Amino acid sequence: MHFFEAIHLTKKFNDKEIVKNVNLHVEKGQFIAFLGPNGAGKSTTVEMLIGLLTPTIGEISLEGIKVNSEKFRNKIGVVFQDSLLDRDLTVMENLKTRANLYQNFDSEYFNQIIIKLELEAILKQQYGVLSGGQRRRVDIARALIHQPELLFLDEPSTGLDIQTRNKIWQVLNEIRKTKQLTIILTTHYLEEVEYADYVYVLDHGEIIAENTLDNLKKEYAHDQLIIHFKGSSKFCDLIERNNQQIGQDLKLITNSNIEAINILDDLKNEISSFEMRPGSVNDIFLELTGKEIR
Amino acid sequence: MVGLIKRNLRLQFNSFGGVSLSLMGAIISFVLYLVFLRQSIASGLSRVPDLKQILDPWLMGGTLTITAITTTANSLGQMVKDRDNGALRDLLLTRPSYYHIQGAYVLSTILIGIVMQGLVMTFMSLYFSLMDAMTFRLDWVLPILIVMILSSVVWTTVNMLLLSFINNVDSLSKFNSIIGTAAGFFACVYMPIGLIPTSAQWLIEFTPAPYNAALFRQILLKDPLNNSFKNATPAVLNDFKESMGIGININGLTTVYSNILLLVGFTMITIIAILIVTNILKRGVLKRH
Ligand SMILES: Nc1ncnc2c1ncn2[C@@H]1O[C@H](COP(=O)(O)OP(=O)(O)O)[C@@H](O)[C@H]1O
Ligand SMILES: [Mg+2]
Repeated sequence: MHFFEAIHLTKKFNDKEIVKNVNLHVEKGQFIAFLGPNGAGKSTTVEMLIGLLTPTIGEISLEGIKVNSEKFRNKIGVVFQDSLLDRDLTVMENLKTRANLYQNFDSEYFNQIIIKLELEAILKQQYGVLSGGQRRRVDIARALIHQPELLFLDEPSTGLDIQTRNKIWQVLNEIRKTKQLTIILTTHYLEEVEYADYVYVLDHGEIIAENTLDNLKKEYAHDQLIIHFKGSSKFCDLIERNNQQIGQDLKLITNSNIEAINILDDLKNEISSFEMRPGSVNDIFLELTGKEIR
Repeated sequence: MVGLIKRNLRLQFNSFGGVSLSLMGAIISFVLYLVFLRQSIASGLSRVPDLKQILDPWLMGGTLTITAITTTANSLGQMVKDRDNGALRDLLLTRPSYYHIQGAYVLSTILIGIVMQGLVMTFMSLYFSLMDAMTFRLDWVLPILIVMILSSVVWTTVNMLLLSFINNVDSLSKFNSIIGTAAGFFACVYMPIGLIPTSAQWLIEFTPAPYNAALFRQILLKDPLNNSFKNATPAVLNDFKESMGIGININGLTTVYSNILLLVGFTMITIIAILIVTNILKRGVLKRH
């Protein structure tokens, strides 16, 4: 049995399929990423997975516990795409009132979270007046307050500065290590996917590819060797292999580092400079859908 | 559930603006009374002795009814706000179920209605005792408290029914201003019911408001009426009660007990209506932006 799984998840709104037959298997402690552009159906999928939206078809279970039961709710934490806490209450009041709505509240853990997410300074401020980054850190504290085993993050870092993003991931990675926290992340930030154990690529409500990031890269994202030549030399044999020549630059898709080294060695007298660009998640997306993710 | 009620109460009393706004209907009726309503009503009743001892508690009865209507509407508005701004989605992830969450809105609203009526009652009693030498009777306290609880329950359910048609914060604030204005007319404070055209009377009598106000007035005016009308015939007293809404004429004037029964009846019918409406509307409560 998997720690968390969803089978044949489908959602129709007015006869339009927004999510189509999504199957998901998650093991304890894993970090799963849903990668997809805006409107792909990521939030709709998450809403079903956390039990706020009833799927048209499909089953969801967490260690055999049915979605929407009290036990299920107690085991999950959610950071919503939009910030949903009470704007008129202070940070502390928000966290306290939410903590009161759970059974397993541990004040020591609570204090730790506040310190880790650097919330002490803003505890007495109204949630509504916080900056986007501050608010997001509070949202994350809220989601962790009852020590969930499975944390959902729906585009948590959209519009955040790099410091906040790093801070958030530093805290989450730490909890992941110490508590075996399982994470399901949706994002269109390619950088964030780099940490994931397993990636689902979602487009138009469908999973168009899924694998570990390394395997996805191997399959869809190739390393590129870019060579800048000294003169206006032409290299017919290389160009014939479907590579691109732009002025004095030659872009080569290489299958291995050895191949790249050999090419460079062959041409070493003609080269003025070169650059090796490793395959990225963006390439995966481009290859699969024919469009840039953002 | 206690945690949810605490949150709702905190949200209510955190914003001074919201609380005072919900009392606007009561404040307006009180101020209008002091400025000119008292004189204009009194001028038509110059033959009644000790009129002041009657009119002050009479106003209190109506104003308490307005308070029950508007403060419960305002408090229950939190339910619409939470639905509209997504807070409900966050709350639904916690231990309490959807029904507990709804129950918490209802219970905190009933509580707020009682507290606010208590505040308004205290303020007005003090004011009229000091300014008009109104006699505050200790034997008011228990029956008035019971009626406050009853009116809070009635208006919480009525507002629950009305608010199930309201989906967003914009319509909510329109709803609150309409309720704030209408409450004074329905409680027959701006104009005694006897002076209102019959068609409008008929409409008013289809709401719990006049019975609620009548019930408060019957308790508060028991002694003052006995005093002022001790030399009058029962018919005269009856006419006075009817025109001032101290008892509503449906096959004879309603008594304390028939008013209570009517209010309980309104509550039951409203609860049934709520159940029917929520089943028909079955609207997605989990709106997302
Ligand atoms: N309640 C709804 N009714 C109809 N369409 C919806 C509803 N919720 C979402 N959609 C549509 O579903 C699609 C996917 O939305 P969403 O899940 O928010 O995508 P993402 O989170 O990947 O940006 C969008 O085209 C959106 O308009
Ligand atoms: Mg989304």
